Amino acid sequence: MSAELNTVKKALAAANLAEVEVIEKQGALVLEGQVKNWQQYLEAGYAAAGQDFRGVVNDLEVEGLENFKQQCESSPEDFSLERYSFDVVVIGGGVIGCAIARELTRYNVKVALLEKESDLARHTSGRNNGMIHSTMAVKLGTKKYLYNLRGNRMYRKVAEELGFDLKWPGSFAMLDKNWQLLLGPYARRIASKKGVQGFRVLSKGKVKELEPNAWEEQTGSFYMPETGVVDPYQVTIAYAENAMQNGTTIYLNTKVLGFEKDNNRITAVRTNRGTLQAGVIINAAGIWADHVAEMAGDRFYTIHPRKGVIAILDKKTGSSQSYILGRAQLSSEAKTKGGGLVPLLDGNILAGPTADEVPGREDYSTETHELQHILDHHLVLNKTLQQSDIITYFAGTRACTFEEDFIIEISEYVENLVHAAGIQSPGLASAPAIAVDVRDMAAEILKNKMDLKENPDFNPKRKLAPQPVRLSLKERNCLIENRPSYGQIVCRCELVSEGEIVDAIHAPLPARTLDAVKRRARAGMGRCQGGFCTPAVINILARETGRQVTEICKHEPGSVLITDRTRRKGCEQSAH
Amino acid sequence: MEKRELTCIQCPLSCRVTVSGEGDQLKFTGNQCKQGIEYARQEVTNPTRTLTTTIATAFPDFPLLPVRTAGEVPLGKIFEIMKVIRAVQVEQRLKPGDVILEIIPGTDKALIATADMCEGVSAVVVK
Amino acid sequence: MHTDVLVIGAGPAGLAAAAAAAEHGAEVLLVDRESRPGGILKQCIHDGFGVIRYEEKLTGPEYAYRDIEAVRAYGLRVLNNTFVLDLKQSVDGFSLLLQNPIDGAFRVDTKALVAANGCRERTSRQVFIHGDRPAGIYSAGTAQNLINLHGYLPGRKVVILGSGDIGMIMARRLTLEGAEVAGVYEIKDEPSGLTRNRVQCLDDYNIPLYLNTTVTRVHGTKRVTGVSVAAVGADLKPLPGSETLVPCDTLLLSVGLIPENDILEPLALEFDAKTGGPVVDQRMMTSVPGLFSCGNATHVNDMVDYVSESGFNAGRAAANYCQHGGSQGSVEVVSGNNLLYAVPQRLVSGEEAAIYFRSDKTIDRVILVAQAAGKELFREKYLRIRPPEMQKIVLQPLSPEVESVEIGLEEVT
Repeated sequence: MSAELNTVKKALAAANLAEVEVIEKQGALVLEGQVKNWQQYLEAGYAAAGQDFRGVVNDLEVEGLENFKQQCESSPEDFSLERYSFDVVVIGGGVIGCAIARELTRYNVKVALLEKESDLARHTSGRNNGMIHSTMAVKLGTKKYLYNLRGNRMYRKVAEELGFDLKWPGSFAMLDKNWQLLLGPYARRIASKKGVQGFRVLSKGKVKELEPNAWEEQTGSFYMPETGVVDPYQVTIAYAENAMQNGTTIYLNTKVLGFEKDNNRITAVRTNRGTLQAGVIINAAGIWADHVAEMAGDRFYTIHPRKGVIAILDKKTGSSQSYILGRAQLSSEAKTKGGGLVPLLDGNILAGPTADEVPGREDYSTETHELQHILDHHLVLNKTLQQSDIITYFAGTRACTFEEDFIIEISEYVENLVHAAGIQSPGLASAPAIAVDVRDMAAEILKNKMDLKENPDFNPKRKLAPQPVRLSLKERNCLIENRPSYGQIVCRCELVSEGEIVDAIHAPLPARTLDAVKRRARAGMGRCQGGFCTPAVINILARETGRQVTEICKHEPGSVLITDRTRRKGCEQSAH
Repeated sequence: MEKRELTCIQCPLSCRVTVSGEGDQLKFTGNQCKQGIEYARQEVTNPTRTLTTTIATAFPDFPLLPVRTAGEVPLGKIFEIMKVIRAVQVEQRLKPGDVILEIIPGTDKALIATADMCEGVSAVVVK
Repeated sequence: MHTDVLVIGAGPAGLAAAAAAAEHGAEVLLVDRESRPGGILKQCIHDGFGVIRYEEKLTGPEYAYRDIEAVRAYGLRVLNNTFVLDLKQSVDGFSLLLQNPIDGAFRVDTKALVAANGCRERTSRQVFIHGDRPAGIYSAGTAQNLINLHGYLPGRKVVILGSGDIGMIMARRLTLEGAEVAGVYEIKDEPSGLTRNRVQCLDDYNIPLYLNTTVTRVHGTKRVTGVSVAAVGADLKPLPGSETLVPCDTLLLSVGLIPENDILEPLALEFDAKTGGPVVDQRMMTSVPGLFSCGNATHVNDMVDYVSESGFNAGRAAANYCQHGGSQGSVEVVSGNNLLYAVPQRLVSGEEAAIYFRSDKTIDRVILVAQAAGKELFREKYLRIRPPEMQKIVLQPLSPEVESVEIGLEEVT
């Protein structure tokens, strides 16, 4: 190994980072010392990657950045989960954790999923572009490639079982120089090697014919018909609800603080709500997965956040575009800015994401230059789009490792820990396949300890609440007659009824905040951004949950919407 | 009195009127017409406003009733009046113009409802 | 269900249109999405409405009440809590899919349609304020709804961006209800609302107004903890180094209104990019025969009196259309020198026409001139004209050979 350590040292020296110390711990490279800025921190991490180690742990201090390693805030403490016992505890309520939980319920195991936030998919899973990628852009031989390929092909079935929307608009990776078309035969070979079905090279004229509003500067395009679009939040909720139907318990506002261990085995998970006994632990903690790994005693990777800003365009733009539009990435550099324009399920177009390395893992602030990038690089890909079409924008962070690949494996140092970490793009596309493999890894561990059997009651179909817009007029009227609140529209932009909002509030996994209602039922998602429906939704939330309006939050505890009532005597408020 | 600068709102010109002097000896400069003097005199001697706000009701379908003072009240008393109004609750369904307080304490003006708490047009819903 | 005239929206424009259509003999159905008629006037509890129409300063609810009583006197059919789910043209008019909790979803056919949908507020994202997305960011109108209809205070220490009328009115309202307003910040070099509101809402309560200043960033992740404000240069871009932090728990935005015509999208009618509303003639007919637009859905007004006026015009014309048919007037109104816009954008010859316009900047001593083919039709002098204060002139009936009318403001030198 020392030869490889030397290689890393040389690489660091070449990057003017000779002062960084490199040591090997548990088969991983650990970087220590101090660097001047975030850029150097990243350069050191990448210089150390790519060798035959388990991963890169970047413990460098950064001048002037004291807090970037700090864990997120802890939720209020109680002991409501003390002594509960589960066969499997999944840490993290993103799409990966929820998919794993659902797959695990195919067995006769007792599963708990812990999520530190007040709703699922609050981080990476709810802050991405919803694309089910083709494998064209991923490197052969990586885990990303394998899971992307399998995951993509599983989506149709999963969508049907779980009842979430999925479409396959296909994607264009557009070229902007005539010579690039010469790469056509090469690209075809790559596509066939990577199993990209239906791949085509389109001429400029053909692109124009298929997508009349496409980028003026395009000279042709690669076309990947097997690129899909989902709502990543809905996918996460769908997996979670089906997992719950099949017996999984989901604990929100529950943060893992540590583990109790017996030698190389975790016996219990310590949380802010008490200590749970656990047979197998699954680390699907996304942007915080390295912290969980460290607590478990198996830290061999560091997550560094890559922020992506996304803009959502008014629904009226939806008819101007049929395909996902992006630029061809001719260098295979993983970190280059990708993104493009995605026609979403509800008729909006999504622009972005950007890609900027930032120290803050939950840094969801947006900056002027990020929006500018979207305007200059993404919006132009459809020539009808204008800045004034943007109705909102937001940021997410990708949970990247320095190796830039997924980590899907049983721990080498903790016998009942499985890592599902480093999941970045194409993580959403890969989720169904990752879940199946992680389930099998957990089963592998469990079968030595218990009589593992198939769950005879497993039902792959998710039960769905009524969706008035999908019903025929007759069916809809029948629904409204039984429950008039389905006929009362609350969100005028997205035409969401009071009944649907009430359903979201009382769903298996209840939506208890304004943002949760927005993401479940789409109330407030439209062009007025909740300007009209916010007062009504606050009232409905208060009424349905028996709380004061001054207790209703936007997203997390402390994010109150109403600070006071102006009239002491005022009686109980109605919903409208 | 110290100099005071006011914006006249009697016409779109919005003159900046400067008032100085005492009692009957007020001096006005900056106004382009007589209206500016009248406006400024009123503003420095006894500014009055119509107060509009809401009061609590006993009806969940109409939790707040918009109200107004019947005529203008001294600007300096507005917060005092708000205090009084905050403690009032309406127990009947009122219509615009209905009197809630005959005399608002500290003034000579009544407090009246400005909205229709009855069902309004929906009373004649036909389908 | 069938009707002659269907009016969408029971705000001041829709109420006026419904009453006028009924007065002119049409069978009218008035459809409104809220539980009570009156539109936005229900939450506009301040006074100052009706100065032109009644020569009184009514509050919003009082003003609406008079129109509601008028509609009630005609015994019109009114559907509350009713949404338009779908709208299309049919052989003899328009076919709408409506829905409410009592009747469910049902179709209504109408010969003429009056769209009095009003407007909505520009959002924080549309003015590109950065930072995270904490609770405590509201549009001024949402805050007005919370305070005036529900008695909910949206925050205790408030910064207001934009000096539009609703923003200034909310500054006073919040102060009266015990909140502290740290300041009103306006990116332009003059308030964008009426002077009366600046005096009676801000000056009366010593609320500072900062011109040439804007909010650039929101701080806080749970609840707003403050905003960064910065001076702007002539290009309205923040000046580097001028940012300061203003602690607050609430940011209210009063940064403009946008006519709301989303439900008309399927009809492919002609829009005016300057107003954001449909192109209309003085009868308020759009480019689609039988479809009328009025009130703030046509262009954003500052006086409700003019909103009602456009409603009356639309309602009367819709009733006439049911009898006689017709299409939009073909005389083009060109908004020329120093004008932000002029409405209507088309004229029918042979009929008197009121023209409403705004200047594109504050100008002292100007003359408005309307001319057709070099011939002056109208002239009026103004001592001062400001963009927030819409002006109205009345043109005498045009002779049939006139093809276009140009309106402009000429500065007196």
